[in-house]
Amino acid sequence: MTTVETSATKPMRTPNDSPLKIWFLAPLAIWLTVFFLLPLIFLLWIGFWRVENFQSVPDFSLGNYADIFASFFSKSRYGLALIQSLWVAITTAFFATILSYMVALSIAFAVPARWQRLALLIAIAPFWSSYVLRLYSWQTILSRNGVINSVLKQFGLADYRIDLIYTQIATRIGLIHYLAPILIVILYVSILAIDRVLIEAARELGCTRWQAFTRVILPLSRFGLMTAASFAIIVSLGDALSGNLLGGGAGTSIIGKLPTYASMIMSDYSSSTNLPRTSALATILIVVMVLALAAGFVAADRARRRTS
Amino acid sequence: MATVSKGNPWIFFGRLWLGIAYAFMFLPLAVLVLFSFQKNRFPGFPLQGFTLQWYDKLFSDGTLLNALGNTMIVSPAAATVATAIAFFAAYAFNRFTFRGKTTFLALVTLPILIPPLILGVGFLGLLARIHLSGTLFAVFLTHVVLITAPALAIIQLRLAQMPASLEEAAWDLGATEWQTVVKVVLPFAMPGIFGAWLLAFTFSFDEFIIAWFVSGFQPTLPVAIYSVLVAAIDPSLNAIGTIVFGISCLVLIGLELVLLPLLIGKPEKQS
Repeated sequence: MTTVETSATKPMRTPNDSPLKIWFLAPLAIWLTVFFLLPLIFLLWIGFWRVENFQSVPDFSLGNYADIFASFFSKSRYGLALIQSLWVAITTAFFATILSYMVALSIAFAVPARWQRLALLIAIAPFWSSYVLRLYSWQTILSRNGVINSVLKQFGLADYRIDLIYTQIATRIGLIHYLAPILIVILYVSILAIDRVLIEAARELGCTRWQAFTRVILPLSRFGLMTAASFAIIVSLGDALSGNLLGGGAGTSIIGKLPTYASMIMSDYSSSTNLPRTSALATILIVVMVLALAAGFVAADRARRRTS
Repeated sequence: MATVSKGNPWIFFGRLWLGIAYAFMFLPLAVLVLFSFQKNRFPGFPLQGFTLQWYDKLFSDGTLLNALGNTMIVSPAAATVATAIAFFAAYAFNRFTFRGKTTFLALVTLPILIPPLILGVGFLGLLARIHLSGTLFAVFLTHVVLITAPALAIIQLRLAQMPASLEEAAWDLGATEWQTVVKVVLPFAMPGIFGAWLLAFTFSFDEFIIAWFVSGFQPTLPVAIYSVLVAAIDPSLNAIGTIVFGISCLVLIGLELVLLPLLIGKPEKQS
Protein backbone atom coordinates (compact mmCIF):
# COMPACT_ATOMS: atom_id res chain seq x y z
CA MET A 1 0.00 0.00 0.00
CA THR A 2 2.99 2.26 0.42
CA THR A 3 3.35 2.41 -3.34
CA VAL A 4 0.02 4.12 -3.72
CA GLU A 5 1.14 7.03 -1.58
CA THR A 6 4.12 7.75 -3.83
CA SER A 7 1.98 8.29 -6.91
CA ALA A 8 0.05 11.16 -5.47
CA THR A 9 -1.77 11.94 -8.69
CA LYS A 10 -3.91 8.80 -8.42
CA PRO A 11 -6.65 8.53 -5.81
CA MET A 12 -6.01 6.20 -2.85
CA ARG A 13 -7.00 2.65 -3.57
CA THR A 14 -6.82 -0.39 -1.33
CA PRO A 15 -6.53 -3.97 -2.61
CA ASN A 16 -10.13 -4.45 -1.56
CA ASP A 17 -11.30 -1.74 -3.90
CA SER A 18 -11.17 -2.99 -7.48
CA PRO A 19 -13.47 -3.44 -10.44
CA LEU A 20 -12.45 -7.11 -10.50
CA LYS A 21 -14.66 -7.68 -7.44
CA ILE A 22 -17.80 -7.25 -9.51
CA TRP A 23 -16.52 -8.74 -12.76
CA PHE A 24 -15.20 -11.92 -11.16
CA LEU A 25 -18.26 -12.62 -9.04
CA ALA A 26 -20.82 -11.75 -11.69
CA PRO A 27 -20.62 -15.00 -13.74
CA LEU A 28 -21.22 -17.13 -10.64
CA ALA A 29 -23.99 -14.87 -9.37
CA ILE A 30 -25.78 -14.80 -12.72
CA TRP A 31 -25.48 -18.56 -13.32
CA LEU A 32 -26.70 -19.35 -9.82
CA THR A 33 -29.66 -16.99 -10.12
CA VAL A 34 -30.79 -18.15 -13.54
CA PHE A 35 -30.09 -21.87 -13.27
CA PHE A 36 -30.48 -22.52 -9.57
CA LEU A 37 -32.68 -20.04 -7.74
CA LEU A 38 -35.07 -19.61 -10.64
CA PRO A 39 -35.68 -23.38 -11.06
CA LEU A 40 -36.25 -23.71 -7.32
CA ILE A 41 -38.79 -20.90 -7.36
CA PHE A 42 -40.38 -22.51 -10.41
CA LEU A 43 -40.56 -25.81 -8.57
CA LEU A 44 -42.45 -24.26 -5.68
CA TRP A 45 -44.72 -22.34 -8.04
CA ILE A 46 -45.51 -25.15 -10.50
CA GLY A 47 -46.75 -27.18 -7.55
CA PHE A 48 -49.81 -24.92 -7.67
CA TRP A 49 -50.49 -25.25 -11.39
CA ARG A 50 -53.16 -27.45 -12.81
CA VAL A 51 -53.23 -29.82 -15.75
CA GLU A 52 -55.73 -29.50 -18.59
CA ASN A 53 -55.69 -31.83 -21.59
CA PHE A 54 -52.20 -33.03 -20.66
CA GLN A 55 -50.92 -29.43 -20.62
CA SER A 56 -49.66 -27.66 -17.52
CA VAL A 57 -51.57 -24.43 -17.02
CA PRO A 58 -50.30 -21.65 -14.73
CA ASP A 59 -52.72 -21.22 -11.88
CA PHE A 60 -52.87 -20.86 -8.17
CA SER A 61 -54.76 -23.92 -7.08
CA LEU A 62 -54.25 -26.22 -4.15
CA GLY A 63 -55.59 -29.08 -6.25
CA ASN A 64 -52.31 -31.00 -6.42
CA TYR A 65 -51.77 -30.89 -2.70
CA ALA A 66 -55.42 -31.76 -2.01
CA ASP A 67 -55.07 -34.72 -4.38
CA ILE A 68 -51.88 -35.91 -2.74
CA PHE A 69 -53.07 -35.60 0.84
CA ALA A 70 -56.56 -36.97 0.15
CA SER A 71 -55.13 -40.46 -0.38
CA PHE A 72 -51.91 -39.96 1.53
CA PHE A 73 -52.07 -43.24 3.42
CA SER A 74 -54.67 -45.13 1.40
CA LYS A 75 -54.74 -45.42 -2.39
CA SER A 76 -51.68 -43.49 -3.54
CA ARG A 77 -49.74 -44.31 -0.35
CA TYR A 78 -47.39 -41.32 -0.67
CA GLY A 79 -47.39 -41.07 3.11
CA LEU A 80 -46.37 -44.69 3.59
CA ALA A 81 -43.62 -44.23 1.01
CA LEU A 82 -42.43 -41.23 2.98
CA ILE A 83 -42.27 -43.31 6.16
CA GLN A 84 -40.43 -46.05 4.28
CA SER A 85 -37.97 -43.44 3.00
CA LEU A 86 -37.32 -42.02 6.46
CA TRP A 87 -36.84 -45.52 7.92
CA VAL A 88 -34.44 -46.55 5.16
CA ALA A 89 -32.54 -43.24 5.26
CA ILE A 90 -32.09 -43.19 9.04
CA THR A 91 -30.94 -46.82 9.31
CA THR A 92 -28.68 -46.40 6.28
CA ALA A 93 -27.11 -43.26 7.75
CA PHE A 94 -26.62 -45.04 11.09
CA PHE A 95 -24.83 -48.06 9.66
CA ALA A 96 -22.91 -46.11 7.00
CA THR A 97 -21.59 -43.65 9.59
CA ILE A 98 -20.51 -46.31 12.09
CA LEU A 99 -18.89 -48.58 9.50
CA SER A 100 -17.10 -45.65 7.83
CA TYR A 101 -15.98 -44.32 11.20
CA MET A 102 -14.40 -47.69 11.93
CA VAL A 103 -12.60 -47.55 8.59
CA ALA A 104 -11.39 -43.99 9.24
CA LEU A 105 -10.17 -44.99 12.72
CA SER A 106 -8.40 -48.01 11.29
CA ILE A 107 -6.61 -45.85 8.73
CA ALA A 108 -5.65 -43.21 11.29
CA PHE A 109 -4.45 -45.55 14.05
CA ALA A 110 -3.66 -48.97 12.60
CA VAL A 111 -1.79 -47.92 9.46
CA PRO A 112 1.78 -46.51 9.62
CA ALA A 113 1.79 -42.77 8.93
CA ARG A 114 3.49 -42.93 5.55
CA TRP A 115 1.00 -45.49 4.19
CA GLN A 116 -2.10 -43.64 5.39
CA ARG A 117 -2.56 -41.58 2.25
CA LEU A 118 -2.42 -44.68 0.08
CA ALA A 119 -4.82 -46.51 2.40
CA LEU A 120 -7.29 -43.61 2.19
CA LEU A 121 -6.91 -43.42 -1.57
CA ILE A 122 -7.70 -47.11 -1.99
CA ALA A 123 -10.72 -46.81 0.29
CA ILE A 124 -12.24 -43.98 -1.77
CA ALA A 125 -11.22 -45.25 -5.21
CA PRO A 126 -14.59 -46.90 -6.03
CA PHE A 127 -16.28 -43.50 -5.66
CA TRP A 128 -14.90 -42.42 -9.01
CA SER A 129 -16.56 -45.25 -10.88
CA SER A 130 -20.12 -44.87 -12.11
CA TYR A 131 -22.86 -45.21 -9.49
CA VAL A 132 -25.37 -46.77 -11.91
CA LEU A 133 -22.82 -49.36 -12.96
CA ARG A 134 -21.94 -50.21 -9.38
CA LEU A 135 -25.64 -50.76 -8.67
CA TYR A 136 -25.90 -52.98 -11.74
CA SER A 137 -22.96 -54.97 -10.44
CA TRP A 138 -24.57 -55.32 -7.01
CA GLN A 139 -27.69 -56.51 -8.79
CA THR A 140 -25.76 -59.34 -10.42
CA ILE A 141 -24.04 -60.13 -7.10
CA LEU A 142 -27.17 -60.24 -4.97
CA SER A 143 -29.73 -61.61 -7.39
CA ARG A 144 -31.41 -64.98 -6.95
CA ASN A 145 -29.00 -66.85 -9.23
CA GLY A 146 -26.30 -64.25 -8.88
CA VAL A 147 -22.66 -64.37 -7.92
CA ILE A 148 -23.04 -65.03 -4.19
CA ASN A 149 -25.73 -67.67 -4.56
CA SER A 150 -23.87 -69.45 -7.35
CA VAL A 151 -20.75 -69.58 -5.18
CA LEU A 152 -22.78 -71.02 -2.31
CA LYS A 153 -24.22 -73.61 -4.69
CA GLN A 154 -20.72 -74.61 -5.83
CA PHE A 155 -19.81 -75.39 -2.24
CA GLY A 156 -23.02 -77.38 -1.69
CA LEU A 157 -24.48 -74.69 0.55
CA ALA A 158 -27.54 -74.05 -1.61
CA ASP A 159 -29.72 -74.18 1.51
CA TYR A 160 -28.06 -71.04 2.84
CA ARG A 161 -28.72 -68.95 -0.26
CA ILE A 162 -29.39 -65.31 0.40
CA ASP A 163 -32.57 -63.65 -0.71
CA LEU A 164 -31.72 -59.97 -0.49
CA ILE A 165 -32.46 -58.62 -3.96
CA TYR A 166 -35.60 -56.46 -4.17
CA THR A 167 -35.62 -55.81 -0.44
CA GLN A 168 -34.76 -52.53 1.25
CA ILE A 169 -31.69 -54.27 2.70
CA ALA A 170 -30.32 -54.41 -0.84
CA THR A 171 -31.25 -50.72 -1.22
CA ARG A 172 -29.19 -49.96 1.88
CA ILE A 173 -26.21 -51.97 0.61
CA GLY A 174 -26.17 -49.90 -2.57
CA LEU A 175 -26.49 -46.64 -0.64
CA ILE A 176 -23.78 -47.57 1.86
CA HIS A 177 -21.47 -48.49 -0.99
CA TYR A 178 -22.10 -45.08 -2.52
CA LEU A 179 -21.80 -43.14 0.75
CA ALA A 180 -18.84 -44.90 2.37
CA PRO A 181 -16.01 -43.17 0.43
CA ILE A 182 -17.41 -39.69 1.13
CA LEU A 183 -18.05 -40.45 4.80
CA ILE A 184 -14.59 -42.00 5.21
CA VAL A 185 -12.97 -38.79 3.94
CA ILE A 186 -15.12 -36.56 6.19
CA LEU A 187 -14.42 -38.73 9.24
CA TYR A 188 -10.72 -39.24 8.52
CA VAL A 189 -10.18 -35.49 8.18
CA SER A 190 -12.01 -34.90 11.47
CA ILE A 191 -9.89 -37.56 13.23
CA LEU A 192 -6.71 -36.01 11.79
CA ALA A 193 -7.74 -32.70 13.31
CA ILE A 194 -7.63 -34.17 16.83
CA ASP A 195 -4.53 -33.07 18.70
CA ARG A 196 -2.37 -36.17 19.24
CA VAL A 197 -1.02 -34.65 22.46
CA LEU A 198 -4.46 -35.06 24.05
CA ILE A 199 -4.47 -38.79 23.29
CA GLU A 200 -0.94 -39.22 24.59
CA ALA A 201 -1.77 -37.29 27.73
CA ALA A 202 -4.79 -39.49 28.37
CA ARG A 203 -2.67 -42.61 27.93
CA GLU A 204 0.07 -41.37 30.23
CA LEU A 205 -2.43 -40.43 32.89
CA GLY A 206 -3.48 -44.07 33.02
CA CYS A 207 -6.35 -44.40 30.51
CA THR A 208 -6.62 -47.75 28.76
CA ARG A 209 -6.75 -47.59 24.98
CA TRP A 210 -10.53 -48.07 25.12
CA GLN A 211 -10.94 -45.24 27.62
CA ALA A 212 -8.73 -42.97 25.54
CA PHE A 213 -11.08 -43.71 22.65
CA THR A 214 -14.38 -43.18 24.47
CA ARG A 215 -13.25 -40.13 26.47
CA VAL A 216 -10.99 -38.30 24.04
CA ILE A 217 -11.29 -39.44 20.43
CA LEU A 218 -15.03 -40.08 20.30
CA PRO A 219 -16.14 -36.77 21.85
CA LEU A 220 -13.71 -34.87 19.65
CA SER A 221 -14.97 -36.52 16.46
CA ARG A 222 -18.60 -35.76 17.34
CA PHE A 223 -18.80 -32.89 14.87
CA GLY A 224 -17.45 -35.06 12.06
CA LEU A 225 -19.89 -37.83 12.96
CA MET A 226 -22.81 -35.41 12.95
CA THR A 227 -21.79 -33.97 9.58
CA ALA A 228 -21.36 -37.44 8.10
CA ALA A 229 -24.71 -38.69 9.42
CA SER A 230 -26.69 -35.67 8.20
CA PHE A 231 -25.05 -35.89 4.81
CA ALA A 232 -25.92 -39.60 4.64
CA ILE A 233 -29.56 -38.90 5.57
CA ILE A 234 -29.94 -36.20 2.91
CA VAL A 235 -28.41 -38.36 0.20
CA SER A 236 -30.44 -41.44 1.17
CA LEU A 237 -33.70 -39.50 1.26
CA GLY A 238 -33.08 -38.06 -2.19
CA ASP A 239 -31.78 -41.18 -3.89
CA ALA A 240 -34.09 -43.13 -6.18
CA LEU A 241 -31.56 -45.25 -8.03
CA SER A 242 -30.64 -47.76 -5.36
CA GLY A 243 -34.28 -48.17 -4.40
CA ASN A 244 -35.24 -48.77 -8.03
CA LEU A 245 -32.43 -51.08 -9.09
CA LEU A 246 -31.66 -53.03 -5.90
CA GLY A 247 -34.95 -52.50 -4.06
CA GLY A 248 -36.84 -53.32 -7.25
CA GLY A 249 -39.04 -50.25 -6.99
CA ALA A 250 -41.09 -51.49 -4.07
CA GLY A 251 -38.68 -53.36 -1.85
CA THR A 252 -39.78 -55.14 1.31
CA SER A 253 -38.76 -53.92 4.73
CA ILE A 254 -40.15 -54.19 8.26
CA ILE A 255 -42.66 -51.53 7.26
CA GLY A 256 -43.88 -53.44 4.24
CA LYS A 257 -43.51 -53.81 0.51
CA LEU A 258 -43.34 -50.14 -0.35
CA PRO A 259 -41.23 -47.93 -2.63
CA THR A 260 -39.17 -45.11 -1.17
CA TYR A 261 -40.56 -41.63 -1.69
CA ALA A 262 -37.84 -40.72 -4.18
CA SER A 263 -38.57 -43.80 -6.32
CA MET A 264 -42.22 -42.89 -6.14
CA ILE A 265 -41.57 -39.38 -7.48
CA MET A 266 -39.56 -40.85 -10.35
CA SER A 267 -42.08 -43.51 -11.31
CA ASP A 268 -44.95 -41.08 -10.82
CA TYR A 269 -43.38 -38.66 -13.27
CA SER A 270 -42.44 -41.28 -15.86
CA SER A 271 -45.93 -42.78 -15.87
CA SER A 272 -47.95 -39.55 -15.82
CA THR A 273 -45.56 -36.75 -16.91
CA ASN A 274 -47.74 -34.62 -14.69
CA LEU A 275 -45.16 -31.98 -13.83
CA PRO A 276 -47.35 -29.94 -11.45
CA ARG A 277 -48.05 -32.96 -9.26
CA THR A 278 -44.40 -34.08 -9.39
CA SER A 279 -43.38 -30.58 -8.32
CA ALA A 280 -45.82 -30.69 -5.42
CA LEU A 281 -44.41 -34.08 -4.37
CA ALA A 282 -40.85 -32.71 -4.54
CA THR A 283 -41.88 -29.70 -2.46
CA ILE A 284 -43.20 -32.04 0.21
CA LEU A 285 -39.82 -33.82 0.21
CA ILE A 286 -38.02 -30.49 0.71
CA VAL A 287 -40.26 -29.69 3.70
CA VAL A 288 -39.65 -33.13 5.23
CA MET A 289 -35.88 -32.77 4.80
CA VAL A 290 -35.77 -29.34 6.36
CA LEU A 291 -37.81 -30.65 9.30
CA ALA A 292 -35.57 -33.71 9.68
CA LEU A 293 -32.43 -31.57 9.65
CA ALA A 294 -33.91 -29.10 12.12
CA ALA A 295 -34.82 -31.96 14.45
CA GLY A 296 -31.26 -33.26 14.13
CA PHE A 297 -29.77 -29.87 15.00
CA VAL A 298 -32.03 -29.48 18.04
CA ALA A 299 -31.14 -32.97 19.25
CA ALA A 300 -27.42 -32.35 18.74
CA ASP A 301 -27.65 -29.03 20.57
CA ARG A 302 -29.40 -30.68 23.54
CA ALA A 303 -26.78 -33.45 23.61
CA ARG A 304 -23.99 -30.90 23.62
CA ARG A 305 -25.51 -28.95 26.49
CA ARG A 306 -25.97 -32.09 28.57
CA THR A 307 -22.36 -33.19 28.17
CA SER A 308 -20.71 -29.81 28.66
CA MET B 1 2.33 -41.88 17.09
CA ALA B 2 2.18 -43.07 20.68
CA THR B 3 -0.83 -45.30 20.27
CA VAL B 4 0.84 -47.51 17.67
CA SER B 5 3.02 -50.04 19.43
CA LYS B 6 3.72 -53.72 19.40
CA GLY B 7 1.27 -56.04 21.07
CA ASN B 8 -1.74 -53.79 20.62
CA PRO B 9 -4.71 -55.99 19.67
CA TRP B 10 -6.61 -53.01 18.30
CA ILE B 11 -4.07 -52.68 15.48
CA PHE B 12 -4.92 -56.21 14.38
CA PHE B 13 -8.67 -55.58 14.48
CA GLY B 14 -8.20 -52.29 12.68
CA ARG B 15 -6.30 -53.89 9.82
CA LEU B 16 -8.76 -56.78 9.66
CA TRP B 17 -11.65 -54.32 9.39
CA LEU B 18 -9.82 -52.33 6.74
CA GLY B 19 -9.39 -55.56 4.75
CA ILE B 20 -13.10 -56.33 5.00
CA ALA B 21 -13.96 -52.77 3.98
CA TYR B 22 -11.69 -52.96 0.93
CA ALA B 23 -13.27 -56.26 -0.09
CA PHE B 24 -16.74 -54.70 0.17
CA MET B 25 -15.73 -51.60 -1.78
CA PHE B 26 -14.04 -53.46 -4.61
CA LEU B 27 -16.34 -56.48 -4.95
CA PRO B 28 -18.72 -54.83 -7.47
CA LEU B 29 -15.86 -53.49 -9.58
CA ALA B 30 -14.10 -56.86 -9.65
CA VAL B 31 -17.34 -58.61 -10.64
CA LEU B 32 -17.96 -56.05 -13.37
CA VAL B 33 -14.54 -56.47 -14.97
CA LEU B 34 -14.43 -60.25 -14.55
CA PHE B 35 -17.77 -60.94 -16.20
CA SER B 36 -17.19 -58.54 -19.07
CA PHE B 37 -14.72 -61.17 -20.31
CA GLN B 38 -16.80 -64.28 -19.53
CA LYS B 39 -19.24 -66.18 -21.73
CA ASN B 40 -21.88 -66.38 -18.98
CA ARG B 41 -25.18 -64.86 -20.05
CA PHE B 42 -25.99 -64.25 -16.38
CA PRO B 43 -23.02 -63.42 -14.14
CA GLY B 44 -22.38 -66.35 -11.78
CA PHE B 45 -20.19 -69.36 -11.18
CA PRO B 46 -18.92 -71.64 -12.68
CA LEU B 47 -17.15 -69.42 -15.21
CA GLN B 48 -17.75 -70.44 -18.80
CA GLY B 49 -14.55 -69.21 -20.38
CA PHE B 50 -12.96 -66.11 -21.87
CA THR B 51 -14.73 -64.14 -24.59
CA LEU B 52 -14.82 -60.69 -26.14
CA GLN B 53 -18.36 -61.12 -27.48
CA TRP B 54 -19.87 -58.49 -25.13
CA TYR B 55 -17.41 -55.87 -26.38
CA ASP B 56 -18.34 -56.91 -29.92
CA LYS B 57 -22.01 -56.50 -29.13
CA LEU B 58 -21.34 -53.15 -27.46
CA PHE B 59 -19.50 -51.76 -30.47
CA SER B 60 -21.90 -53.14 -33.07
CA ASP B 61 -25.05 -52.08 -31.21
CA GLY B 62 -24.07 -48.47 -30.65
CA THR B 63 -26.79 -47.23 -28.25
CA LEU B 64 -24.49 -47.17 -25.25
CA LEU B 65 -21.55 -45.87 -27.26
CA ASN B 66 -23.74 -43.05 -28.58
CA ALA B 67 -24.61 -42.17 -25.01
CA LEU B 68 -20.94 -42.29 -24.05
CA GLY B 69 -20.31 -39.86 -26.90
CA ASN B 70 -23.05 -37.54 -25.59
CA THR B 71 -21.49 -37.65 -22.14
CA MET B 72 -18.04 -36.96 -23.52
CA ILE B 73 -19.44 -33.79 -25.11
CA VAL B 74 -21.41 -32.56 -22.11
CA SER B 75 -19.09 -33.37 -19.22
CA PRO B 76 -15.84 -31.77 -20.45
CA ALA B 77 -17.76 -28.68 -21.59
CA ALA B 78 -19.61 -28.36 -18.27
CA ALA B 79 -16.42 -28.99 -16.29
CA THR B 80 -14.54 -26.32 -18.26
CA VAL B 81 -17.20 -23.64 -17.87
CA ALA B 82 -17.72 -24.50 -14.20
CA THR B 83 -13.99 -24.39 -13.48
CA ALA B 84 -13.65 -21.00 -15.19
CA ILE B 85 -16.57 -19.54 -13.21
CA ALA B 86 -15.19 -21.12 -10.06
CA PHE B 87 -11.68 -19.72 -10.58
CA PHE B 88 -12.85 -16.14 -10.94
CA ALA B 89 -15.19 -16.45 -7.98
CA ALA B 90 -12.55 -18.16 -5.84
CA TYR B 91 -10.12 -15.33 -6.59
CA ALA B 92 -12.70 -12.75 -5.59
CA PHE B 93 -13.66 -14.64 -2.42
CA ASN B 94 -10.00 -15.03 -1.51
CA ARG B 95 -9.02 -11.41 -2.04
CA PHE B 96 -11.98 -9.20 -1.33
CA THR B 97 -14.15 -8.62 1.69
CA PHE B 98 -17.69 -7.46 1.11
CA ARG B 99 -21.07 -7.50 2.74
CA GLY B 100 -23.04 -10.73 2.37
CA LYS B 101 -19.93 -12.82 1.61
CA THR B 102 -20.93 -15.62 4.00
CA THR B 103 -24.45 -15.71 2.62
CA PHE B 104 -23.12 -15.85 -0.92
CA LEU B 105 -20.77 -18.73 -0.05
CA ALA B 106 -23.61 -20.63 1.63
CA LEU B 107 -25.76 -20.09 -1.47
CA VAL B 108 -23.00 -21.53 -3.66
CA THR B 109 -22.82 -24.76 -1.65
CA LEU B 110 -26.59 -25.18 -1.66
CA PRO B 111 -26.76 -26.98 -5.04
CA ILE B 112 -24.76 -29.91 -3.67
CA LEU B 113 -26.80 -30.07 -0.47
CA ILE B 114 -30.19 -30.10 -2.17
CA PRO B 115 -30.91 -33.61 -3.49
CA PRO B 116 -30.44 -33.78 -7.27
CA LEU B 117 -33.89 -35.34 -7.55
CA ILE B 118 -35.49 -32.08 -6.41
CA LEU B 119 -33.19 -30.00 -8.62
CA GLY B 120 -34.08 -32.26 -11.54
CA VAL B 121 -37.80 -31.57 -11.17
CA GLY B 122 -37.11 -27.85 -10.79
CA PHE B 123 -34.82 -27.67 -13.82
CA LEU B 124 -37.36 -29.53 -15.90
CA GLY B 125 -40.06 -27.03 -14.95
CA LEU B 126 -37.92 -24.06 -15.97
CA LEU B 127 -36.37 -25.57 -19.09
CA ALA B 128 -39.67 -26.90 -20.42
CA ARG B 129 -40.99 -23.36 -20.05
CA ILE B 130 -38.22 -21.94 -22.26
CA HIS B 131 -38.35 -24.95 -24.63
CA LEU B 132 -34.86 -26.19 -23.85
CA SER B 133 -35.69 -29.45 -22.10
CA GLY B 134 -34.85 -32.70 -23.82
CA THR B 135 -31.53 -31.52 -25.21
CA LEU B 136 -27.89 -32.06 -24.33
CA PHE B 137 -27.61 -28.30 -23.92
CA ALA B 138 -30.08 -28.51 -21.03
CA VAL B 139 -27.91 -31.13 -19.34
CA PHE B 140 -24.89 -28.88 -19.82
CA LEU B 141 -26.60 -25.84 -18.28
CA THR B 142 -27.76 -27.74 -15.22
CA HIS B 143 -24.55 -29.67 -14.66
CA VAL B 144 -22.56 -26.44 -14.52
CA VAL B 145 -24.64 -25.32 -11.51
CA LEU B 146 -24.12 -28.63 -9.78
CA ILE B 147 -20.36 -28.91 -10.22
CA THR B 148 -19.32 -25.28 -9.70
CA ALA B 149 -19.47 -25.64 -5.91
CA PRO B 150 -16.96 -28.50 -5.58
CA ALA B 151 -14.66 -26.85 -8.15
CA LEU B 152 -14.84 -23.59 -6.20
CA ALA B 153 -13.97 -25.36 -2.95
CA ILE B 154 -10.87 -26.98 -4.46
CA ILE B 155 -9.57 -23.78 -6.08
CA GLN B 156 -10.20 -21.86 -2.86
CA LEU B 157 -8.09 -24.40 -0.96
CA ARG B 158 -5.23 -23.75 -3.37
CA LEU B 159 -5.58 -19.95 -3.42
CA ALA B 160 -5.63 -19.89 0.39
CA GLN B 161 -2.07 -21.22 0.24
CA MET B 162 -0.93 -18.25 -1.86
CA PRO B 163 0.93 -15.58 0.14
CA ALA B 164 -0.64 -12.16 -0.41
CA SER B 165 2.84 -10.72 -0.91
CA LEU B 166 3.10 -12.55 -4.23
CA GLU B 167 0.38 -10.40 -5.76
CA GLU B 168 1.58 -7.24 -4.03
CA ALA B 169 5.04 -7.76 -5.50
CA ALA B 170 3.54 -8.00 -8.98
CA TRP B 171 1.56 -4.77 -8.47
CA ASP B 172 4.65 -3.01 -7.12
CA LEU B 173 6.57 -4.03 -10.20
CA GLY B 174 3.97 -2.35 -12.34
CA ALA B 175 1.66 -5.15 -13.44
CA THR B 176 -1.99 -4.26 -13.84
CA GLU B 177 -4.48 -6.22 -11.80
CA TRP B 178 -5.54 -8.26 -14.79
CA GLN B 179 -1.92 -9.03 -15.70
CA THR B 180 -1.32 -10.13 -12.12
CA VAL B 181 -4.26 -12.51 -12.28
CA VAL B 182 -3.13 -14.01 -15.57
CA LYS B 183 0.63 -14.15 -14.98
CA VAL B 184 0.93 -14.71 -11.24
CA VAL B 185 -2.29 -16.04 -9.71
CA LEU B 186 -3.31 -18.35 -12.54
CA PRO B 187 -0.01 -20.29 -12.68
CA PHE B 188 -0.01 -20.60 -8.90
CA ALA B 189 -3.61 -21.90 -8.88
CA MET B 190 -2.98 -24.35 -11.73
CA PRO B 191 -2.82 -27.55 -9.61
CA GLY B 192 -6.07 -26.51 -7.92
CA ILE B 193 -7.68 -25.72 -11.28
CA PHE B 194 -6.59 -29.07 -12.68
CA GLY B 195 -7.95 -30.94 -9.63
CA ALA B 196 -11.16 -28.92 -9.74
CA TRP B 197 -11.67 -29.71 -13.42
CA LEU B 198 -11.20 -33.44 -12.84
CA LEU B 199 -13.57 -33.43 -9.87
CA ALA B 200 -16.16 -31.44 -11.80
CA PHE B 201 -15.79 -33.75 -14.79
CA THR B 202 -16.31 -36.84 -12.63
CA PHE B 203 -19.43 -35.41 -10.96
CA SER B 204 -20.93 -34.52 -14.32
CA PHE B 205 -19.87 -37.81 -15.90
CA ASP B 206 -21.64 -39.79 -13.21
CA GLU B 207 -24.71 -37.59 -12.66
CA PHE B 208 -27.92 -39.50 -13.30
CA ILE B 209 -31.17 -38.10 -11.99
CA ILE B 210 -31.01 -34.53 -13.33
CA ALA B 211 -29.94 -35.85 -16.73
CA TRP B 212 -32.81 -38.34 -16.56
CA PHE B 213 -35.30 -35.52 -16.13
CA VAL B 214 -33.92 -33.07 -18.69
CA SER B 215 -32.04 -35.09 -21.35
CA GLY B 216 -35.02 -36.54 -23.21
CA PHE B 217 -34.00 -38.29 -26.42
CA GLN B 218 -30.33 -37.44 -26.06
CA PRO B 219 -29.45 -39.55 -23.05
CA THR B 220 -26.13 -39.30 -21.26
CA LEU B 221 -24.34 -42.52 -20.43
CA PRO B 222 -25.82 -43.12 -16.94
CA VAL B 223 -29.33 -42.53 -18.30
CA ALA B 224 -28.77 -44.92 -21.20
CA ILE B 225 -27.34 -47.57 -18.87
CA TYR B 226 -30.35 -47.18 -16.63
CA SER B 227 -32.81 -47.69 -19.44
CA VAL B 228 -30.96 -50.82 -20.61
CA LEU B 229 -30.89 -52.04 -17.02
CA VAL B 230 -34.59 -51.78 -16.31
CA ALA B 231 -35.32 -53.61 -19.58
CA ALA B 232 -33.12 -56.69 -19.12
CA ILE B 233 -29.80 -57.98 -17.87
CA ASP B 234 -27.35 -57.44 -20.70
CA PRO B 235 -23.68 -58.38 -20.27
CA SER B 236 -22.56 -55.64 -22.65
CA LEU B 237 -23.20 -53.44 -19.60
CA ASN B 238 -20.19 -55.19 -18.09
CA ALA B 239 -18.18 -54.23 -21.15
CA ILE B 240 -19.15 -50.53 -21.06
CA GLY B 241 -18.63 -50.67 -17.31
CA THR B 242 -15.07 -51.87 -17.76
CA ILE B 243 -14.39 -49.09 -20.27
CA VAL B 244 -15.87 -46.48 -17.94
CA PHE B 245 -13.84 -47.95 -15.11
CA GLY B 246 -10.71 -47.43 -17.22
CA ILE B 247 -11.61 -43.76 -17.74
CA SER B 248 -12.22 -43.38 -14.01
CA CYS B 249 -8.82 -44.90 -13.23
CA LEU B 250 -7.14 -42.24 -15.38
CA VAL B 251 -9.09 -39.48 -13.63
CA LEU B 252 -8.26 -41.05 -10.29
CA ILE B 253 -4.53 -41.03 -10.93
CA GLY B 254 -4.76 -37.37 -11.90
CA LEU B 255 -6.72 -36.58 -8.77
CA GLU B 256 -4.32 -38.48 -6.53
CA LEU B 257 -1.46 -36.35 -7.81
CA VAL B 258 -3.34 -33.10 -7.24
CA LEU B 259 -6.30 -33.31 -4.92
CA LEU B 260 -5.11 -35.29 -1.90
CA PRO B 261 -2.07 -33.10 -1.18
CA LEU B 262 -4.52 -30.18 -1.12
CA LEU B 263 -6.99 -31.92 1.19
CA ILE B 264 -4.80 -33.55 3.80
CA GLY B 265 -1.36 -32.14 3.16
CA LYS B 266 -1.47 -29.41 5.81
CA PRO B 267 -3.15 -26.56 3.91
CA GLU B 268 -2.76 -23.21 5.67
CA LYS B 269 -6.42 -22.27 5.67
CA GLN B 270 -5.97 -18.71 6.93
CA SER B 271 -6.27 -16.35 4.01
